[in-house]
Amino acid sequence: MNKDRKKQEILGVTAKSVGRILEEENLDFEKLQEIRMRAEKPLMIVYDNREMILPSTSTSGHLVTKEEIRETLDYVSQYSLYAYEQEMRQGFITIEGGHRVGVIGKVILEKNEVKNMQYISSINIRVAHQILGCADSLMKYITKNMKVCHTLIISPPRCGKTTMIRDIIRQISDGNRYVKGCTVGVVDERSELGGCYLGVAQNQLGMRTDVLDCCPKAQGMIMLVRSMAPQVIAVDEIGTTEDIHAVEYAMQCGCRMIASIHGSGMDEAAAKPVLGELIRKKRFERYVILGNQNHPGEIREIYDERGSLLYSG
Amino acid sequence: MYRLIGGVLIVMSTTGAGFLYGRELQRYLENLLEIREILYLIKGEMEYSGMPLGEIFVRTARKVKEPYRTWLRAMHRRMSRREDVSFRKIWNDGIDTYLEELHLKKKHVILLKELGMSLGQNDRKSEGKHFQLHLDRLEQEIEIMREELASKKRIGNCLGVMSGIFLVIILS
Repeated sequence: MNKDRKKQEILGVTAKSVGRILEEENLDFEKLQEIRMRAEKPLMIVYDNREMILPSTSTSGHLVTKEEIRETLDYVSQYSLYAYEQEMRQGFITIEGGHRVGVIGKVILEKNEVKNMQYISSINIRVAHQILGCADSLMKYITKNMKVCHTLIISPPRCGKTTMIRDIIRQISDGNRYVKGCTVGVVDERSELGGCYLGVAQNQLGMRTDVLDCCPKAQGMIMLVRSMAPQVIAVDEIGTTEDIHAVEYAMQCGCRMIASIHGSGMDEAAAKPVLGELIRKKRFERYVILGNQNHPGEIREIYDERGSLLYSG
Repeated sequence: MYRLIGGVLIVMSTTGAGFLYGRELQRYLENLLEIREILYLIKGEMEYSGMPLGEIFVRTARKVKEPYRTWLRAMHRRMSRREDVSFRKIWNDGIDTYLEELHLKKKHVILLKELGMSLGQNDRKSEGKHFQLHLDRLEQEIEIMREELASKKRIGNCLGVMSGIFLVIILS
């Protein structure tokens, strides 16, 4: 059922000729990770962690035409490019099902900022795969007396940080044996957590979750505190000084915080100028370090606010 | 006696025809005004909410009467099913199929179709300008029709009566 839905969602946005090739391959869409369409280049997919040129029966593959890229873009944008102006500026559009369509072309600059993109030459459809339950082993460490601890997830890129935070949000929102279900506000600046499509989260974020989609994190956290009074606020990839000040503001307002940053360990996080200050003030109660030595989303270490090791993987 | 009744009937029917002509002109103008209203609603939604066209059509359909409601809903249906490669085809087919009963003049059909040629292909600012350009042209057409309407209606009524009298004189 889920597989069929995923298939429909993906085939619904690809050019009809490309869709036919994908269908003829009899792919398992649960294993499909990416579809790469580059103008005048062979159609490629990443399937079960392997790159493949389609159709598999031909050695040179199907050469993707500009018209196919244009057609795909029309379907992705629902014939309304203006409606995805902001997303185009960021380089991707989220479609139904939370899948992400990355677009590359000629960038139009205005006052040194990306205004839009034209002559789209490459499209990369990244199929969304949620891993429900990936935070199961983490929950007991980031909760105390049925309440959520202020938690900072530290992880290098491609270690499953976003997937992990998404499942944490779902579990906190729905509640489980470690935490009573509570309202969660999510500031989803790049639509990565919720994968919102027309304002509705496509990923499972729990029944008590409010998602502020495509909103800058610092502004979004303040807006959430004022408008939705969440018990927990979750943000992915905090980085700027404004973000960290907003995190501190939300903590002072009584919200529990789940946040993530790029980094490889505690020392690196503590060395960051503004965030380091927050760590020294012992604002965060838990630090979760992720890695991908064996698999993405692997929990390497968990520390408490004093820096004591609670868990080592 | 019969001649008199016949003459009166002829004058009445030609006067009625003249009156109907005036009413048709009035109805045509009302149709153009209705289309202008719909286009303004679509433009407003595009600029304010920035929603995709399909969603805007559904939203607008709730506010308008037939046949415009069916026209907008049908376009949304075809867009969500991704039945056609280009939006232009969906838009043009919609006009040909659902607005046919309005018996729009060719120049007005062309004006509407031209609007759909590049709709949805630009950024929000350009879309607004593009839309306004076509709305201005439509406004001009409406203005011309409005100016002509009173005189045409008067001519229609006069011609109706006069042609009736003329016919009666000839026949008698």
